[in-house]
Amino acid sequence: MMEISTSKIGVYICHCGSNISGIINIDQLKEFTSKISDVVIVKDHKFMCSDKGQKLIKNDIESGLINRVVVAACSPRMHEFTFRIVCEDGGLNPFLFEQANIREHASWVNLHDPIGAFEVAKDHINMAIAKAKELKPLKKLKVNVEPSCLIIGGGIAGMNAALDLANEGYQVYLVEKNPTIGGHMAQLDKTFPTMDCSACILSPRMVDIARNKNITLLTYSEVVDVKGIVGNFNIKIMKKPHYVDQIKCTGCGSCLDPCPVVCRNEFDLGMTSRKAIYIPFPQAVPEQYTIDMDKCIKCGICADPKVCEPEAIKFEDKSEFLEIKVGTIIVATGWDLYDPTELKQYGYGRFPNVISSLQMERLLSSFGPLLGNPARPSDLKLPQNVAFLQCVGSRYYREGGNQYCSRVCCMYATKQARQYKEKHPNTEVYIFYIDIRAFGKGYEEFYESTQREYGIRYIRGRIAEVLEDKEKNIIIRSEDTLSQQLIELKVNMLVLSCGLEPNIDSAKIGSLLSLQKSSDGFFMEAHPKLRPIDTLTEGVFIAGVAQGPKDIPDTVAQAKGAASGASSLMRKGEIEIEPYYAIITEHLCSGCKICQSLCPYGAIDFNEYKKIAKINPILCKGCGTCIPACPSDAIEQNHFTSYQLNSIINILKNK
Amino acid sequence: MNEKIQEIIKRDICESYNSNILRKFIDTGLEEIRACINCGTCTGSCPSGRRTALRTRSVIKKALDGDDSVLKDIDIWLCSTCYYCYERCPRNILVTDMVIKLRNIAVEKGYILEKHFNLAYNVFFKTCHAISAKGENNKKWRELRESYKLPSLPPTVHSYPEAVKECQTLMKEVKFKKLLDQIKKKIKK
Repeated sequence: MMEISTSKIGVYICHCGSNISGIINIDQLKEFTSKISDVVIVKDHKFMCSDKGQKLIKNDIESGLINRVVVAACSPRMHEFTFRIVCEDGGLNPFLFEQANIREHASWVNLHDPIGAFEVAKDHINMAIAKAKELKPLKKLKVNVEPSCLIIGGGIAGMNAALDLANEGYQVYLVEKNPTIGGHMAQLDKTFPTMDCSACILSPRMVDIARNKNITLLTYSEVVDVKGIVGNFNIKIMKKPHYVDQIKCTGCGSCLDPCPVVCRNEFDLGMTSRKAIYIPFPQAVPEQYTIDMDKCIKCGICADPKVCEPEAIKFEDKSEFLEIKVGTIIVATGWDLYDPTELKQYGYGRFPNVISSLQMERLLSSFGPLLGNPARPSDLKLPQNVAFLQCVGSRYYREGGNQYCSRVCCMYATKQARQYKEKHPNTEVYIFYIDIRAFGKGYEEFYESTQREYGIRYIRGRIAEVLEDKEKNIIIRSEDTLSQQLIELKVNMLVLSCGLEPNIDSAKIGSLLSLQKSSDGFFMEAHPKLRPIDTLTEGVFIAGVAQGPKDIPDTVAQAKGAASGASSLMRKGEIEIEPYYAIITEHLCSGCKICQSLCPYGAIDFNEYKKIAKINPILCKGCGTCIPACPSDAIEQNHFTSYQLNSIINILKNK
Repeated sequence: MNEKIQEIIKRDICESYNSNILRKFIDTGLEEIRACINCGTCTGSCPSGRRTALRTRSVIKKALDGDDSVLKDIDIWLCSTCYYCYERCPRNILVTDMVIKLRNIAVEKGYILEKHFNLAYNVFFKTCHAISAKGENNKKWRELRESYKLPSLPPTVHSYPEAVKECQTLMKEVKFKKLLDQIKKKIKK
């Protein structure tokens, strides 16, 4: 690259419609900018990011008028990439570009103070020009992308993404912490609004996963370590011990009856029991058994060859660690149900006939505890009247609640109420709600027919408190807000429509992958509108409820999106990464290794022969931790050199 | 439209759907009320409302919509300030404080029960306490205090009669006396 001696800077000021020009006087700003030294061109446009705006810049570069570009517009996170491409197209090194953020940092935050906004915009332009003068041309690095993907979470989102990628020919590692895939969808009986049988549409997919040659199914496993960057993630996976040989076990189930240990069945949310040796549910994939060592008393009955003919029981089983290399990662960690125990006024946990919605789902399920004939837990009698309460733990601005709407509860309660009424047409079903949100395709119609055809009574009011009478009936106290009357209603059973929360283990996965969370606790997308499936960690995608509550169609759509995002990265085979890595000035390095101990990404090696540190530019993420720590000032970071940063500070200092 | 019909059908168009009461709530720092979703938890939780006509949500909703009749109504005086409504409100609205604020506004406008006025004027202002510890009826309380080796009268104006004047000055300074006088005039009318 030719050394650029004098800097000729072109400054391009964007109106951003009226986002900037509505507050800041563009003409005055142009006049101010044109007086700054080395600035040769100042232009403005309604939308600098538009085709016409981009051509303005490109033409000026091509005709040799400028050799540095400053765009004063929105945040670089929005359009830095766009303008870098413009520079490249015009034949200028894309790193000779600097963006001054006069939208988020000046006009938007000073909506009622145009003069103040103008002053701030001046500073930002001054700083950007000062840095632009010191910019150096840089070259992007190219990294190979492994054609393989790690998918964390084997629910409906993870499974769909896995199948899509495997069918495209990529190697997929599907990691699930439970002994089976299927996720929460396996617990559901039917799905709204079409009333498809959940198991009937899920089970074939589960079998497809097990059968697909490109998918390595790692159930009962957890991701314990992630290193590397997009294209080359090094993943360490722990396979928890099953204590049953997964190859020898035929899934015959002869060990079940002899096992003397009876414990809580998590799949049925404690409404049934299981043995210490178990499969979570009959259609589980894989169908091999697992021993729950927390519950097992090691009596050894199951290990008797008369009980287990293939001799699969393996008490000495240990955790295995597996190391794999993948190019991309999809996070589909899903959700947990809100625990309503803390909302004492609803009596969950105190009154046996107050149950959660997922428990109701199991009661309604044909392979549930009561084979699809719901009964109330206290006496197993058929409830003659059932009430549902909406927004339990959701839209709740107090401690212990979630402020967001969980999006699915209105519809699942409607569905459950309808199913119950289908089975028992002579019963009364009430739904206590604040608002009914039937937003999806066919949802409003489903809500309407549930009211009209099935006669489900919707009562507008949030239940204030519930009491229990001697027959264990539930007495509901509430207001019917539409008629402004107080209600005291006796029902046989109350179902709490609890909201969805991020899976308890998602925090661990989040910190392993340095994913950010939004205020609701779900994983944050790179951009809420334009990049809803990407994360800020490149090469990592999110799918399903891990990103926020959503129903099955939305989850599957997002999983397809995540698969497509991962596949388009892997299809290219290599990707370019930003050259913002740090560099060691060899003759200054004293070999003290301080930087090596501080680097959070393990990017610094030590050259024992030269006794100096060496930074791996691919692993370095440009965080800057090592630079101030170096006692001999031997480290500089590309694009953020001390000289460049000082030039910005000086321009403000000498204002 | 036919002019005759226009005469018959009178339309009542309101210029604004805001109310002074809402503004007063916001000035007092009770702006959370703007996020009320009218779920009815406050009304359903109200132990007083179960026995009386008090409908917490409706009272506050009416007040916010500019319906001054709630100030004249006895309902706002039936709240026992047990704070159930506040404890259970999903939007963290200080419902009980709003009822108290409504009472303040009502009294400013001269809507007060005679018993309350008498207590405020004849007992509280004159004696500087609301509940007397003296007299034959309260003998057992004085004896109870003595049994715990406490002075028979509490360390309030009961023990320091000279403090009555100070308290009254204080009540005049904070314009409590002025408020009472205004109400007295209105009641006489």
